Amino acid sequence: MRSRIVSLAIMLFLSVTSIIMLFPIFWTISTSIKTRVETFQLPPVYFGFTPTWKNYLALFEDSAFIKVMINTIVVTVGSTLLAITVGSLVAYGLANSQAFPGRRPLEVSLIMMRAMPGVVLVVPLYDILANVGLLGKMPTMIVLYALINLPFAIWIMTPYFQGIPKELQESAVVDGASPTKVFFKIVLPLALPGIAATSLFVGLLAWNEFLIPVVLGGESTKTLPVFISGFVSARELDWGPLAAASSLAIIPIALLTAFMQKRLVSGLTQGAVKG
Amino acid sequence: MLDAQHNEVAGAVAAPAIPRAGRKQSDWIAKAAAKRGMLLSIPAWVMIAPLFFLPLAVSLRLSFYDKSLGLPVEPSFVGFENYRTDVFTSTFAEALFKTLVILVLGLLIQFPLGIAIALALHRRFRGRGIFRTLILLPMLLTPVAVGLMWRFMYNPELGIINWWITQLGLPPVDWLGSPWPAVVAVTLVDSWQATSLVVLMVLAGLSALDTAPTEAARVDGASSWQLFRYITFPALLPILLVTLMLRVIDGFKIFDIIFILTRGGPGTATQSVSLLDYNVAFTFLATSRASAIGVVLVLLTLPLYFLWRKVAKLQEQA
Repeated sequence: MRSRIVSLAIMLFLSVTSIIMLFPIFWTISTSIKTRVETFQLPPVYFGFTPTWKNYLALFEDSAFIKVMINTIVVTVGSTLLAITVGSLVAYGLANSQAFPGRRPLEVSLIMMRAMPGVVLVVPLYDILANVGLLGKMPTMIVLYALINLPFAIWIMTPYFQGIPKELQESAVVDGASPTKVFFKIVLPLALPGIAATSLFVGLLAWNEFLIPVVLGGESTKTLPVFISGFVSARELDWGPLAAASSLAIIPIALLTAFMQKRLVSGLTQGAVKG
Repeated sequence: MLDAQHNEVAGAVAAPAIPRAGRKQSDWIAKAAAKRGMLLSIPAWVMIAPLFFLPLAVSLRLSFYDKSLGLPVEPSFVGFENYRTDVFTSTFAEALFKTLVILVLGLLIQFPLGIAIALALHRRFRGRGIFRTLILLPMLLTPVAVGLMWRFMYNPELGIINWWITQLGLPPVDWLGSPWPAVVAVTLVDSWQATSLVVLMVLAGLSALDTAPTEAARVDGASSWQLFRYITFPALLPILLVTLMLRVIDGFKIFDIIFILTRGGPGTATQSVSLLDYNVAFTFLATSRASAIGVVLVLLTLPLYFLWRKVAKLQEQA
């Protein structure tokens, strides 16, 4: 009897916290498919309204917004590929050799990059990039996004590479395989699940990135978060289209989470839990 | 989760008997590996040197000069003037204080709540997977979009939060328009996102936990609270430390959410150190003064670096 009450109390607690966790998301998505009148109606309309796609159509009628979506996808995919490529090389190196020249400085730099507020880097970068004419260019954005996410990518991937038994690589070397061959034929296939999980995460961080594009980007590199932020200051009370733009930022993430929950969880906690 | 991953990899290679390489060969391989480690980090250095070290060096230099954004005038040397006008000031002190208030207040919400949710989710019940996905979601969402979502809800006249509050017969609050409510509002949004991280990490810790001591203590008649206090909590300590470190790092960096919710306002009520630095650089266009703030912020994050190494060592021992 007592344990049933405890179970019920726990379920109640979980239900309440889940509702709190979900309500802002539900409210934003529902605002995005309401008419202007329903949006501002009090008492609030939670359910039972007729959905309208007007707010989304208004966004996509503007060719500038389509460009924003394309930019966001390009910079996300491009920087993820770069960060994962460079990061997996480093992670393999860190996992494979205890000491090598430059290991300590590299580790220190990576931790500093992760711990430092981004603004600190962005202020001088503005000056430097303006001087060499690279401000507001897409390739610049891709490289900077990759740089910012590099520590995270390496941190998550290193344990995956450490999990690959050394004996396996050593015996391949003894059998006469070249280091390149060992990496591509043995190490890479075994590390692939880890690399995939890390890619999801780095992609997510790139999708969400705000500081770099808002300061160092330009009109031609405008991403969704920058668009939303500009929209807020320009059209404060246009809740419908604003909610639609926000929904477009969060719905892909919600879908990704729903389908890849296990992958994401194991990726994120990889470095933190010693198995 | 982690275990499964590693076991899979280990399982795949455990089958064929692998001859152990001799000592000489190991030495040779270790040397080759050291060289490889160096070669493999070259691409990373190519990115880090011009885009991380160079900006830091430029920032350090500029902090002793007088320079405005975009002006082609040759900067003039001013010594510690920028530090005097922008770092040792009440504005900077307030920004640092507000950053810490939002951080600490947030930790007090995120850790107890996150641990409680994780413990509840660790029990076996139907639909656990759905709850786990839902709880995970907030931390993954775009901070700018999250800020906007809450901005709607915090709106003093049209927002749903004040509507609920007035339904309960309480006076409405100007959430983002008055100083301390704005601090609370920012903290709540940050915690809404960060509690998921605590849940996720603690859940991972719980599932990696050895259940034998708990079972033994239960047989000996320990209460649930005793089980948690003397067995589960100490075992979770390493992962809680890692989570705490991550939260302190990200809390100190807080920017996106505040930028959307209040822009640091009203006045400077929610101006975090990152926002202050941003405003000096890109609102007042005072590059060199912002650089001085930046240099001090780097110095302030150095303890985090030592904390990181401590935590990493602790994990290796665990």
